[in-house]
Amino acid sequence: MLADTVFIEPVRRIVTDEDLKIWKDSDTHKEVVCFVETLSKSVRGKKISDIDIIVSENCNCILNILQDIEIIFKKHPVVSDREASRFGKPEFRDFYDDLHENISHILGQRILALSQYSNENDPRIELAVYLNESFGNRTRIDYGSGHELNFICFLLCLRNLGILNLEKDSQALVLKIFYNYIKLMRSLQKEYWLEPAGSHGVWGLDDYHFLPFLFGASQLSTHEFLKPKSIHNKEVVEMFAPDYFYFECINFINEVKTESLRWHSPMLDDISGVKTWSKVEEGMFKMFQGEVLNKLPIVQHFFFGNIIKCPQGISEARTNDDESLPVHSHFGDSCGIKVPAAFGAAEFNKRAKPLPFD
Amino acid sequence: MDIDTDIQMEDAIDDPQSTTNQTSFFNNALNSQPPVDILSSDVNQLDAWIETLGQCKPLGEDSVKQLCKMAIDVLKSEDNVQPVSVPVTICGDVHGQFHDLMELFKIGGPCPDTNYLFMGDYVDRGYYSVETVSYLVAMKVRYPKRITILRGNHESRQITQVYGFYDECLRKYGSANVWKLFTDLFDYFPITALVDNKIFCLHGGLSPMIETIDQVRELNRIQEVPHEGPMCDLLWSDPDDRSGWGISPRGAGFTFGQDISEQFNHFNDLQLIARAHQLVMEGYSWSHQEQVVTIFSAPNYCYRCGNQAAIMEVNENLDREFLTYDPSVRPGEPTVTRKTPDYFL
Repeated sequence: MLADTVFIEPVRRIVTDEDLKIWKDSDTHKEVVCFVETLSKSVRGKKISDIDIIVSENCNCILNILQDIEIIFKKHPVVSDREASRFGKPEFRDFYDDLHENISHILGQRILALSQYSNENDPRIELAVYLNESFGNRTRIDYGSGHELNFICFLLCLRNLGILNLEKDSQALVLKIFYNYIKLMRSLQKEYWLEPAGSHGVWGLDDYHFLPFLFGASQLSTHEFLKPKSIHNKEVVEMFAPDYFYFECINFINEVKTESLRWHSPMLDDISGVKTWSKVEEGMFKMFQGEVLNKLPIVQHFFFGNIIKCPQGISEARTNDDESLPVHSHFGDSCGIKVPAAFGAAEFNKRAKPLPFD
Repeated sequence: MDIDTDIQMEDAIDDPQSTTNQTSFFNNALNSQPPVDILSSDVNQLDAWIETLGQCKPLGEDSVKQLCKMAIDVLKSEDNVQPVSVPVTICGDVHGQFHDLMELFKIGGPCPDTNYLFMGDYVDRGYYSVETVSYLVAMKVRYPKRITILRGNHESRQITQVYGFYDECLRKYGSANVWKLFTDLFDYFPITALVDNKIFCLHGGLSPMIETIDQVRELNRIQEVPHEGPMCDLLWSDPDDRSGWGISPRGAGFTFGQDISEQFNHFNDLQLIARAHQLVMEGYSWSHQEQVVTIFSAPNYCYRCGNQAAIMEVNENLDREFLTYDPSVRPGEPTVTRKTPDYFL
């Protein structure tokens, strides 16, 4: 599959409202939506602990990759509070850099199917970016649903390369691979105190994740007695957290936050008033599109390569490095930052800038 | 207790209708005008609002409209660099944590007995942004000389649409009208303050385009926070361990090193830059060898960060003392009724 593709390093492209509009109507957008929909539907009525889930050899490879990443994570514990006034722990950057350095090697070692590609045209250049960006932002030491989306894109790339087969693998993708990814993310979030990226505070669905709520509602959509309002019952939540994503998320929130759901999670509280899980599933799917895939602050970080292609007409590539934006020319040249010609700076200022982050 | 001159003023208020000329606006010209006084009927109205808000009950839309109109009259006469005299208590981000704001006034002493200077970020993320910002604005109109409220990077149309205040207004009022009234008002908030000519207070930090405090005075601040330039930097920048100017990972503003802070303080004859904008675990944090202090006044930020909050008292001799506090106990459950989000209907 993708025999004639020339693999390139994926870059961010979406900047303006115009770009966003083109993106929303694009085939690539549709491809991501369909991928997520298929994954979600495949786990209706399934539990994480179900023993009849078939894990193909290639799925196993990805589980091994997650294990390798976990080993890297364990090499970089938070050792000191190095002037610990700020929230996120700087050891996260050591983890990130270590992962960045080794990711291509790990991919090659674990996914044998990749050996058919020559060194000159290797899809790992695309896979590595999506996988690396799945664990958060190095500079800001934060994590959010946009990073989670990168992990989905990593899986989508593997599907497009023919390494994963959606018909056979989708249950394992959600209940094994995505589950282990979330488990690993929980460890990172707790260890490094990752800041919630672009958090809406109490007015958002969750500080970090989106898709576990969709997959979780889908899992529960056929359940006989668990209802959306069960999230308020702590015992129920604890008991079912190992089996259902939705309860895992609520349990995590209960663990890390003070006060009740009504205080810090009014959105989840509101949703708990919905009568059935299938209605919650439906809503989560619409909300995933509305609040993740179609929101500029999130998709301005979406990466496009040649496996996941950028729709035509979208702004040209910007650099991947947040820290290398050109600056005005008159700041003085002794500050250790690049000082482009005044002409270049003026040109840059005319271009649209991504939304700032706080 | 001192007699509060703010309460004594008796001159009639100018017709608010005639004073909202935004376009031909020069701060410097307005500085020489006498401050707007308040009518005793307005005092009664304000006191009633403050009492309602003090119980964490939002005002009706019409009252918000009236309040914002009065607030524009007060705020537009303030300087870009609003002079503040000592003693004063300086506070950082609040982010809609209304009950913790009440705790702040308990720890620091009630306003107007204690003078307060807030350095922005009243809204977004917390449950009670509407109540918090309404309360602070009502206090500002009621006691204009006793409380100063600066603009933070979250007092902006664009940012509040992403980080919660817009959603909250929609959720609590059923329309975006109140959001519109407040974000229009935010354009008038002063962007910096100067305490006794020695402590420069602002939300974010320094700008490579600003060398002197006078340059801040020349800015036209009555606008949405721009994406770049000096006004943006003052609300977005952060101090950093690296020297010189650096690109901010936030995508707006800059990072500035100790050399920059030293130079700025020396050149402007300042003792200290006080700013907010960053979560710090102890509620306050020194940087640049005590040239810069960060103050954060939202304890256990977002119900999970486990941080303390702090305020900084500055007395007549410019001595500084930090008061730290933990989250207040929340009374029962929120009273807002459940409403199914549109996606789930």
